[in-house]
Amino acid sequence: MTRSVAIGDTLRQAAPSLANVRRRRVDWAPLLLLLPTTISLGSVSVYPILDGLWLSLRNTTLSTREDRFVGWLNYRLLATDPDFWSAWRHTLEFTAISTLAETAIGLGMALLLAERFTGRGLVRAAMLIPWAMPTVVTSKMFGWLFDGQNGLVNWALRSLHLIGGNIDWYGSPNTALGTIIFADVWKTTPFMALLLLAGLQTIPHSLHEAARIDGAGAWQTFWHVRLPMLVPILLIAAMFRALDAFRIFDLVYVLTGGGPADSTEVLSTLTYKTLFSALEFGYGSALSTAMFATEVLIALCFGILIVRGMRQQGR
Amino acid sequence: MSKTEPVSGAAAELLPKPRPGRRGFLGGVALGGVAALASTRGAARAEITFASAKFFGKETVAQVVEMYNASQSRVHVTYVELPPPSASTEVHQLLVQQLARQSGSPDVFTQDVIWIAEFAGAGWALPLDREFSADVRKQYFPGVIQACTWGGKLTALPWFIDSGMLYYRTDLLGGAAVPETWEELATLAQAAERSGRARFGFLWQGKQAEVLVCDLVEFVASNGGAILGPDGKTVMIDDDKSVQAVQFMRDTIDRYKISPQDVLSWDEEPSRRPFTGGQAMFLRNWSYVYTIAQDPKVSSVVGKVGVAPLPHFPGGRSAACLGGYQYGVNASTKGRDAAIDFVRWMSSPATQLHFATELGLAPTRPDVFDDPRLAQSQPFMQKLKSVFLGATPRPVTPKYAQVTLVLQSSVSRALADGNVKQALSSAKDRIAAIVAS
Amino acid sequence: MMAEVGYRRSGARSALFLVGATAIVLWSSGPFLWQISTSFQLDRALVSPTPSLIPHPFILQHFLNIFLVKHFQFYVLNSIIVAISTTLLCLAFGAMAAYALSRLKMRWRFGLLGFILSVSMFPQIAIVGPLYLLASVLGLLDTYVVLVIIYLALGLPLVIWVLFGYFQTIPEELDEAARIDGAGPFRSLLLIIIPLSLPCLVTTGLLAFIAAWNEFMFALALTSTIAHQTVPVGIADFTNLYYVPWGDIAAASVVVTLPLVLLVLFFQRRIIEGLTQGAVKE
Repeated sequence: MTRSVAIGDTLRQAAPSLANVRRRRVDWAPLLLLLPTTISLGSVSVYPILDGLWLSLRNTTLSTREDRFVGWLNYRLLATDPDFWSAWRHTLEFTAISTLAETAIGLGMALLLAERFTGRGLVRAAMLIPWAMPTVVTSKMFGWLFDGQNGLVNWALRSLHLIGGNIDWYGSPNTALGTIIFADVWKTTPFMALLLLAGLQTIPHSLHEAARIDGAGAWQTFWHVRLPMLVPILLIAAMFRALDAFRIFDLVYVLTGGGPADSTEVLSTLTYKTLFSALEFGYGSALSTAMFATEVLIALCFGILIVRGMRQQGR
Repeated sequence: MSKTEPVSGAAAELLPKPRPGRRGFLGGVALGGVAALASTRGAARAEITFASAKFFGKETVAQVVEMYNASQSRVHVTYVELPPPSASTEVHQLLVQQLARQSGSPDVFTQDVIWIAEFAGAGWALPLDREFSADVRKQYFPGVIQACTWGGKLTALPWFIDSGMLYYRTDLLGGAAVPETWEELATLAQAAERSGRARFGFLWQGKQAEVLVCDLVEFVASNGGAILGPDGKTVMIDDDKSVQAVQFMRDTIDRYKISPQDVLSWDEEPSRRPFTGGQAMFLRNWSYVYTIAQDPKVSSVVGKVGVAPLPHFPGGRSAACLGGYQYGVNASTKGRDAAIDFVRWMSSPATQLHFATELGLAPTRPDVFDDPRLAQSQPFMQKLKSVFLGATPRPVTPKYAQVTLVLQSSVSRALADGNVKQALSSAKDRIAAIVAS
Repeated sequence: MMAEVGYRRSGARSALFLVGATAIVLWSSGPFLWQISTSFQLDRALVSPTPSLIPHPFILQHFLNIFLVKHFQFYVLNSIIVAISTTLLCLAFGAMAAYALSRLKMRWRFGLLGFILSVSMFPQIAIVGPLYLLASVLGLLDTYVVLVIIYLALGLPLVIWVLFGYFQTIPEELDEAARIDGAGPFRSLLLIIIPLSLPCLVTTGLLAFIAAWNEFMFALALTSTIAHQTVPVGIADFTNLYYVPWGDIAAASVVVTLPLVLLVLFFQRRIIEGLTQGAVKE
């Protein structure tokens, strides 16, 4: 490899014009490489997003045949709508707790699975089950598992004498959101674990060996060697997870419908009801735009950390 | 039904009668050929589309549509299948998107009973008063016709009916009579719980979803109260009678303790399971539970379940929340005659009987209930006639979609924290604002 | 395995590992085992006061039901076609884009990455309506194509970002060497970068596959016949009006999840373990 570099240097010194030609020729490549992605993403997103933004400035309600430009009215209504803000709070709460929990547990799983031991393949395959199960089934299944009267969870907890009577998981405003978070953590931790495992697998062996030779124990190896190298993929995975968690819909809609007493209403279910049930496209689009704006903020927070991390690594 | 083959009939009049003899014979063949050509061109089948939520039983809706197509050659119906009614919000949204474009497609559709006013108010459903006179309308349940009418016009033709009803355990009742008032029900339920014969006295649906409004209507109307007045604008949800009714709903959990707090997160299935599992004395639910209760693969209480109209408050009458899908004709349809012909056939007594025996969808014609064939194949359904006669619709307003969301939120709040009057007052203000605009 | 810890573990650590591994297996597969058990039991058994994992009586009714009555096999076939197409295209387009963003010095690459990310920030429920209209106008309703196009757009952001992050860790000297040897960017991507990134590609491919496999909302709105409906829609269609045939649903989820898990088992052994032996980055 050093020989090639040397030859390359020689070539470049000898024929600078040749190198220039090469550099100009390369300019087409990025465009061609990015073309399929751009077309694919653009064709699906441009029209709906623009349509959404356009509708949010109107008071379009299909069934009453209203369709007038109302400027910022929808957004002003949004700002003073207590249902919106409580849904916004619930959604942030859900996002923060579930992302943290999934990252922590996922990291633990990934660390364990990165080691070699007999039956590792089986454990890896088992770990994937929650993520692989169809979502339509998982939601109903958790509804049944945590059913207040006949669910397995209450039965198990009572059998182990951890609780005296049945807990009304979904029917009580105090526990409903927590139960949904639990269901989401079960379902989505494999997503984080898989990405973190891939990240762990790419840490060069030599770094490990060097640390071990220097006498570092397992915890120090983890903290000073593996974790820093894991940070980029961890941030990327956590960002995607947070962005997805913010848009949580299926679990909440199936399990509680936003109740009881609006205690689990999240922005997606609120938007769904506004758009699909009440057919208020103007207000619903303003809701979606508000969701989008919050997601942009979340992405920016993560993005800054990611970019800084990458710049630090000298790229 | 005298519109059969008008073109060929007229053409036949115009053609000279064929003369006997070889020349006559050839002439006759030629004329016959021309007539045949004219008649095939003239009787080209009208093409219409029919969009319906996906129902199935022993047969599917598609098969019934094929029956229509095979039974005559004037109209050909293309069936467009929407998601099943369990995904009713998606069905609603898909229907609305198509109807709002006012392109004439689909020509005929099915609509949940709560969308009828909405579609009529938006001008998407064709008024059917001319084609279906008052005499014809008398052949259906009055509650259904009332639900199919908006602004004084009939904008939907009845298809099938469903309503809430009281299920009870015949073996646990002992010698007592089936309760007719809520007070009686509470007493019996408490007794059953105390004696240990039943784990739960009374199960119903309190999940923050549409079904909560169904239960609400039954309690409120059985007390003589209402949510919206007949004019569709007066909000009566926080009148005394309505507040009393909702207070009773809360009391079943809090005071009488005949319902577990879990009902606040239960809809149809989670409340049905403990009942067919033998754990409950009374259950309020739709008609589908009975067939399941008699299925030994699913139920532990086969042969021990009875059905009755729901109880009422003193001075009130039993109220059953009306459900079911009905037909609608697209206001922008380009095949109006064909569409009318089709819905008339679909809503005919014979087809309704077919839907009842093969798909388990209860007819909206009281006469069909008395048909012996129905008794044979769905004996339970016959008993429901009296229950369906008392079916009460949910608030009839084009803004129902928004009203129901407010009701769900407020009533759920009232049931969860017990501040009934406060929650209903705030509901009244919000609903008044919605229906006034 | 690159990240393997080579030192011998103490007894206590081994025990900890065993506990941890067992915990993961029980936690992840517990509910699924319950599903398997339910799929062989009568629906009546769901509400029994003492739930039992061993089904008695043991019935095959649910599995027969989903295949003979509901024709579940067609839904599975549709899902396979859509998911595999989506995954392959996702990986191809994603690798190309990530390579361009990582390797070929472009000025606005973080802006582009941001745009790519923004596509996955808009709530899906808001996009369904307009896309339905668009698909309807283009005559693409109830086809495989429309689903693949949409799932591609949903899956690309993650694939691109993760591959971008990974490509950034591949030293640029390799590119230099390739360039000197006369390879253009396409060949360099194909012959050098991709073989190096196989574990990452397998991981993101798996995630893209599962996402396409489980997607429900668009499939429900955009497909209407069994010729193109996917597994989630098929399962949702088990429920007619109210009654949820839980045994049938459990059987369907077993049929759908088990092969996937077995596939992953197979893939993991073959690809990840085998390839990461080569310390290519040294």
